[in-house]
Amino acid sequence: MNETIDQRDLRTPPGRLFRKYLYSIVGLAFAALAVNTGFDIWFSYREQKQLLAATQREQAASAAIQIGQFIGQIENQIRWLSRLPPELSSNEDDRLNAIRLLRLSPAIADITELDSQGREQVRVSRRVADRIGSKADLSTLPAFHSANESRAYYGPVYFLGDTEPFMTLATRGTGRDPNVIVADVNLRFIWDLVAGIRVGNTGRAYVVDRMGVLIAHPDLWPALRRSDLSGHADVRAALDGVGPPSGGLVKEDMSGQRVLSTYATVPSLGWLVFVELPLSEAYAPIYASIGRSTFLLIVLLAFAALVSLLLSRRMTVPIQMLMQGARRIESGDLGLRLAIKTGDELEALGDQFNRMAAHLRESYATLERKVIERTCELEKARDHALAEHDAAERARGAAVLANETKSRFLAVVSHELRTPLNGVMGVLQLLDDGSLSEAQRRHLATAAASGETLIALVDAILEYARLEASTETLETRDFRLDQLIEAAADLMRPQAFGKRLTFDLACDENVETFVHGDPVRLNRILLNLIGNAIKFTPSGGIGLKATAARHDDHVLLSLTVRDTGIGIAPDMHERIFEDFVQADDSIVRRFGGTGLGLAIARRLTRLMRGELTVESTPGAGSTFTLQVPLGRAAGDVAQGVLPAPSRQLRVLLVDDDPVNCEVGEAILKRLGHRATIARNGASAVALARDQAFDIILMDLHMPDMDGVEAASRIGALGLPRMPRIIAATADVSGSARERLAGASITKIVSKPILINALREAIEDEPEVGPAAAQLAAGVLIDRHFLDDQKEMLGAAQIAKLHHLLQETSDRLIQDIAKAAAIGDHVQLARLTHQLGSAGGALGLVNLFERCRELELAAPSMSPPECQNAARELAALQKASMSALDDLLAPAEQRPVT
Amino acid sequence: MTERPSAFAVDRRGFIRLAGTTAAGWIALGATSDRMRVVASLTALPLDDELTRRSMIDSPTSRLGGLIVGLRQRGWVEGVNFHFELRSTFGGPDKLKTAVQELLELKPDVVLTGSTIETAAVFAATKTIPIVFATANDPVGNGFVESLAHPGGNVTGFTNSTAEMGGKWLQLVREAVPDLARVGVLFNPATTPRAGRFFLDSIEQEAAACGVSVAPAPVNASTDIDQAIRHFSEPPRAAMVALVDSFLVIHRQAVVAAAAKHRVPMIYPFHYFMDAGGLMSYGPTLEVRSADYVDLILRGTKAGDLPVQSPRKYELLINRTIAHSLGLTIPFTLLARADEIRE
Repeated sequence: MNETIDQRDLRTPPGRLFRKYLYSIVGLAFAALAVNTGFDIWFSYREQKQLLAATQREQAASAAIQIGQFIGQIENQIRWLSRLPPELSSNEDDRLNAIRLLRLSPAIADITELDSQGREQVRVSRRVADRIGSKADLSTLPAFHSANESRAYYGPVYFLGDTEPFMTLATRGTGRDPNVIVADVNLRFIWDLVAGIRVGNTGRAYVVDRMGVLIAHPDLWPALRRSDLSGHADVRAALDGVGPPSGGLVKEDMSGQRVLSTYATVPSLGWLVFVELPLSEAYAPIYASIGRSTFLLIVLLAFAALVSLLLSRRMTVPIQMLMQGARRIESGDLGLRLAIKTGDELEALGDQFNRMAAHLRESYATLERKVIERTCELEKARDHALAEHDAAERARGAAVLANETKSRFLAVVSHELRTPLNGVMGVLQLLDDGSLSEAQRRHLATAAASGETLIALVDAILEYARLEASTETLETRDFRLDQLIEAAADLMRPQAFGKRLTFDLACDENVETFVHGDPVRLNRILLNLIGNAIKFTPSGGIGLKATAARHDDHVLLSLTVRDTGIGIAPDMHERIFEDFVQADDSIVRRFGGTGLGLAIARRLTRLMRGELTVESTPGAGSTFTLQVPLGRAAGDVAQGVLPAPSRQLRVLLVDDDPVNCEVGEAILKRLGHRATIARNGASAVALARDQAFDIILMDLHMPDMDGVEAASRIGALGLPRMPRIIAATADVSGSARERLAGASITKIVSKPILINALREAIEDEPEVGPAAAQLAAGVLIDRHFLDDQKEMLGAAQIAKLHHLLQETSDRLIQDIAKAAAIGDHVQLARLTHQLGSAGGALGLVNLFERCRELELAAPSMSPPECQNAARELAALQKASMSALDDLLAPAEQRPVT
Repeated sequence: MTERPSAFAVDRRGFIRLAGTTAAGWIALGATSDRMRVVASLTALPLDDELTRRSMIDSPTSRLGGLIVGLRQRGWVEGVNFHFELRSTFGGPDKLKTAVQELLELKPDVVLTGSTIETAAVFAATKTIPIVFATANDPVGNGFVESLAHPGGNVTGFTNSTAEMGGKWLQLVREAVPDLARVGVLFNPATTPRAGRFFLDSIEQEAAACGVSVAPAPVNASTDIDQAIRHFSEPPRAAMVALVDSFLVIHRQAVVAAAAKHRVPMIYPFHYFMDAGGLMSYGPTLEVRSADYVDLILRGTKAGDLPVQSPRKYELLINRTIAHSLGLTIPFTLLARADEIRE
């Protein structure tokens, strides 16, 4: 591993452990050393002090002895002189002896020899002339009578010439008339002695007499000043006979220096020898010892700190490394190897750690390898699937292309067939002007029926094409169910009777109701079934039975068509619903037909979410059962035949075919409207510009300008009141519808134009009241989408979404109202987008559309417009939500089947 | 941690002593390093005299040499922390005045004077600059100090022979010349204390006790010396006492030469005369302690606090060769007493 990085990283943690160890060890070492040193110093200090005091006492005693000896020597000398037998020496001899003594003892300044009566015999002096035999009476001198044989006389210290300390010594000889020798001693010679006493380095000794007067001092001159020290406390105490303190006395000396002082008494003289040592010197060894101990303590402490540092590092670094390692592993770095070389449990721990990391690394590697392998496999599978998918896509593309081609072909064919049929049917309808005879009318009816059959055939083909292309959509509306069934029965009954078959119709009372559905498609299925029954029944009869089961939101219609025909072999029961299949090839020859009828019927049934099944026994007959759920009608809409139009409308009929024009005009007149004819797109545009029309009925296929373009141009005219444009075309394919939507054409009437279809298209006016109309029409919600969503998400989820949408949309509507009130376009756009998206999720298409429009238009809207739009949107949201409530409320209460 | 004092004791003590000495020396030097001190000295001797020659300065036996050496021992090194300024008054009163003037202009820290004459001259000129006299016989009488133990003013120093020494000199010279009938006393009244009376009293007292007549022989100029001495070469048997007199010290060669020429036994107060060939001398031993006082004064002690020191030792020097040449026999009492006998 890269050690340097490790090292650097290791320094970054707070290092509490390190400091803890460091402080503990240093503290321990310090405490031990400090206590040891402290005790050592304390005892050493005490011992040294005692030793010092003892030494000083010794010095003082020694000095006292020396001084005593000095005086004692002089005493001995004069005692020798005094003991010389008087008869052995003359005065001259005495003088000579005295001179010799002066030579011997420089301290003696004067020697006087007195006889036993106190008369001066000889006086030898250093400063005055010697006197011999003067016989002066000196018997009154204290020296004379105080000196006795056993004890010398020590006179008091006196000062000669003001400055020189002197003392008188006297001894008495032995024998009957002993002489007395009196000597005056110059005590300044003690100075040599005192100056020679070494007391330490800077210490000194000095001598005071019995009165406390300074006799000798190393500096000489203090003694010459006759300093009286009896005022000093220690001198006073010593003079009073108090012994020196054992540890010495600390005091200030004459120069103000602090000294350690002690003293000793000179034997026989009673003088005091004081020995003083400055504290600075006296305690210097102690201080040095303390200093040395302290230095040693510091050195040892520094050493201890160093050792602690190393020890702490040794202890904490591996732990920190372990910690760091753990952190790295935590962050996914498994390549770490800890290099702990402590040779103890920590190293073992580090090794264990490394092994753990290695195991982890291996595990990860294995896992990774497996993941890679699995990924490879999946990729292969995916590639394979993609390849298959591409192939499928290509196949589908080809199929779609082929289908489109087929659709186009069928559309063209149907258009080409329909155009002449349109003319035929129109003329047939016009022929009945009320003046026809019964026979004519019958023929006319037959002709019309044939035409209708032909149209039906074309429609079947067309419808099949549409169903094939999945472009067929249901066109639902409210209708009377029983009327539809009875009309179908009425239509087919003649055929049945024509083949001498019975035709029974049985409807239960539930059928007598309005339902919502696609009546045209339902009728087509019904006709197909009845037609087949008649076609394939040579004898016997046809039974038609209709029942309707009412459910909460729908009516389940069950229709049974039973016949006593040739029947269908069991293996054909399902095949007959396939394209271009009939039960038997011979059937085609015997009965004709396209073979598309049942296929269309089943497809339409399924489109209506219903079921078409068959039960049949060959030779005994067949029973076809149709079960279709139908919506409940919104209201009671009277379904009258050709009801009077609500008002007369101005209709522009645009068609290049004169027959179609004529038919169309006639139908419009019949419907009570006023028609104007335009024979091509251009004239239609011109007419639309010049005259006001309520409706333009536009043929789409025109040679010069097709209907879509014409509609676009009319739209571009900017007319004050835009007429509604209804397209009339035989092509009702999806692509055609898209084109139409682009030209604002929403309504289509298929050609040939049927009078009822046209009436409905014209009557279906959106402007009657947009919201209400749309509500009634049920286009608020895309039910298919909603159903798909239900299937996909489940009822519970939808219920949750429903609830959520309720809350969200309410809130959004409030916010939109606010945003509109303050004219915040950005917010308005954002909120409408949110509402649209939310609504769209549950198929509230109208709300979604309106929201999208608002979102796009919001930036350019004026405040009043905004507020209007917000109000509209609120109404729409309310209506949409209540519609959604209706749709979902029952669904939420029962399980999804 | 254990300590073994015995192992360290010697070294430590030695070290401390060394350190202490060094420190003391440096402190002594350091205490004066801020300013160069001036030690002035005024002498009656001519500067070419043997006793004042610079070559003698380093000799501790001479007064001047002893001072320099003593000061050096106390941390005062000439040229380093003090200047030594020597002036001679030799050449008459004008010369004395000039010399005093010169010295005081140097603003000395202390003035050393040789004898009473110079001391009086400097003392007259300043009452503030400390004065240390090397020899003065009667400082209290001269008004230099209030008392010997407590001088009080700006003067202190060392006394020489006391007044009763006159009798001592007579006694000693009489022992050498037993048949002495008269004694001549040689001095210059201008330079000897109290114009000679200081010593004459004790001499006359002693002379009266032993039946000797005293004849003062005052001299006022060097040219008078020979005449004054010659006067005592004639009977009755005479000897002479030379008093403590700077004039005589200056002219000691002339005095000794005249005494030898006229065969007059003479006792002198200083050993300088013995170096010039004198018969005998008795006086206080030259114990040079002026360095002590100069040191104390340089360190701030007031001169008035320092007691005047008196001599404690006296020495008798005899030149037996000269005695022979004069036909004298030195008795035992003198020989026993003599501190030095020169042959």
